[in-house]
Amino acid sequence: MRIAWRSLWRGWRRSAIVVTAVTVGLVACLFLVSFSNAFVEELVSTAVETRLANVAVMARGYAANPDVLRNLPGDGVIAQIAEGFPGAHASPRLLGDGLIQSARKSSRIALAGVEPERESRVSVVSRSFVAGGWPAAGAGGGARRLGELALGGALAERLGVRVGDKVVIHTPGESGLGAFRVSGIFRTASSSFDKTQVFVSLADAQRLLDVPGRVTEVALALDDPEKAAELAAFARAELTRALPDVELDVLTWREREPRLAAMLELMGNTRWVAYAAVFIGMAFGIANALLMAVYERIREFGVLRSLGLPATHLVWLVLLESLMLTLGGVVVGLAVGVPIVRYFSVAGLDLSQFSAGLNEFGIGAVVHLRLRGGDMVSPLYIAVLTALVAAAWPAWKAARLRPAEALRHV
Amino acid sequence: MGDVVLEAQRVTMVYRAGEIETVALDRVDFTVQQGEFSALCGPSGSGKTTLLNLLGTLDRPTSGRVLVGGEDTSEMGEAARAKLRLRKLGFVFQSYNLVPVLSALENVEFVLLLQGVESVERRRRSLAVLADVGLAELAEKRPNEMSGGQQQRVAVARAIASQPEIVLADEPTANLDSKTAEDLLDLMQRMNRERGVTFLFSTHDPRVMARARRVVRLVDGRIAGEERRPE
Repeated sequence: MRIAWRSLWRGWRRSAIVVTAVTVGLVACLFLVSFSNAFVEELVSTAVETRLANVAVMARGYAANPDVLRNLPGDGVIAQIAEGFPGAHASPRLLGDGLIQSARKSSRIALAGVEPERESRVSVVSRSFVAGGWPAAGAGGGARRLGELALGGALAERLGVRVGDKVVIHTPGESGLGAFRVSGIFRTASSSFDKTQVFVSLADAQRLLDVPGRVTEVALALDDPEKAAELAAFARAELTRALPDVELDVLTWREREPRLAAMLELMGNTRWVAYAAVFIGMAFGIANALLMAVYERIREFGVLRSLGLPATHLVWLVLLESLMLTLGGVVVGLAVGVPIVRYFSVAGLDLSQFSAGLNEFGIGAVVHLRLRGGDMVSPLYIAVLTALVAAAWPAWKAARLRPAEALRHV
Repeated sequence: MGDVVLEAQRVTMVYRAGEIETVALDRVDFTVQQGEFSALCGPSGSGKTTLLNLLGTLDRPTSGRVLVGGEDTSEMGEAARAKLRLRKLGFVFQSYNLVPVLSALENVEFVLLLQGVESVERRRRSLAVLADVGLAELAEKRPNEMSGGQQQRVAVARAIASQPEIVLADEPTANLDSKTAEDLLDLMQRMNRERGVTFLFSTHDPRVMARARRVVRLVDGRIAGEERRPE
């Protein structure tokens, strides 16, 4: 141990280079991983808080084939039962497709009929209004008093409308025509949502889509999103018991959007690619430094062997030097990297140059890095593994030295 | 003279470099007995260092057997040979060969550490040996802070600290000036007389040969003659 430690200081320049390489690699890893965490979390939270909800109750088969005629009773019983789960908030929604028309332009829309008070507890839209607010329950569709609607900022721009302007909605139903006044414009982190989404009151949507008293889903949000699977199990059991005649599905967002879940899992795995890339590079650096150290000390190793040091101890000596170098780099890397990541987790990383592209994914212009405890532990394991792998060849070289040959080495 | 400490039986050593074969030792029979102060001498390339390395189990002969303290080393694996060196042999090399990152005291302690001697006892014995070679005040110095003569004294201290059956010294005075070389030889001679340490030198230094009580001359890998002197 003493020889290993002091040998590192003997070649302190070389040791410093290796420690610096490990440090830089680790900081890069921590940055990449925490960026990936933030990216994934924001992607999920945007998707969940705009369209998906943590859990959704739907008529059987609606998720696979979203037809407005696959619907559920909208009498509030489902919401009431689901809210029996601690920390759960329910919002009935009636979703359908349509066309919106302003004085200048028209556009295809995703129409959602909601009860604003309930929807504000499950959706990010309440916090995203840049003008006006939720629509009041009205009488769109032919009555004298116009109904109200809220729409995304990108859609409002396309249509050239502002709060107070009048638009017309067409839907496929028999009574699928209604005139509305814009009550609010919202901008979420998802530009695709803002380009197509229109909210009207639940009553107006039921009238437009010709399904009075029905909803297509009851969206459930949780104070603790980690309990989504528990809530789904609870809702499934309670609803089956209370409404035995209603055929329904209770799906977590992962079950509802398996492609998104798979994509996120894939992104989560990219951290291992990042770790691997950085640590493989490091391994070559460490192996090179150690090989040089071994070649420089062949004579010294010959002396140690001739004094009776077993070859296995020599292997341990080289491995120990590698471990010390790498762990030194890990300690410095964590000491430097964690504060940097912490800073950007509070201040955020301004990516406004790329915000147009990021918004497509539901990511805001400022990304707040997220570092979890496990993210700091994994590099430790990987570093130890890297150190051992990198040192294997030099250690093997050292162990194979014949004492007499090593002593002759110049 | 006492028991046989080292024995070479019909030892041949051939070095191969590609197609070229060089016979360094040719069927050499040689023994060293307890308490000897002997020297292997001869011109460069005569095979004295090769014989010393084989007797010290630092290398394996092409043919023949080497016995250390009666134990045949020819069938031993590397680990067993390392253990044997640790128990029975001490080495002093031409260019001191101390571990540069360890102090004089730590260099002496190193072999005792390998032998598993407990730390307090290890330190006590190492300091005593260093005092014996006149270097107690340099115990904490690293090799690069000492002169060549001082380093070689530390090497002698390291070699005898583990109380080996024999110390093998390869050209120990080659890099030393006359005065330092004489001092070192005085020291080793004293160790031989007072502690009964057996010494075998490989040398072409006349000063060493003059002090040795047995001088074995090697020429072209064979023993060409032997001279014994009274105490």
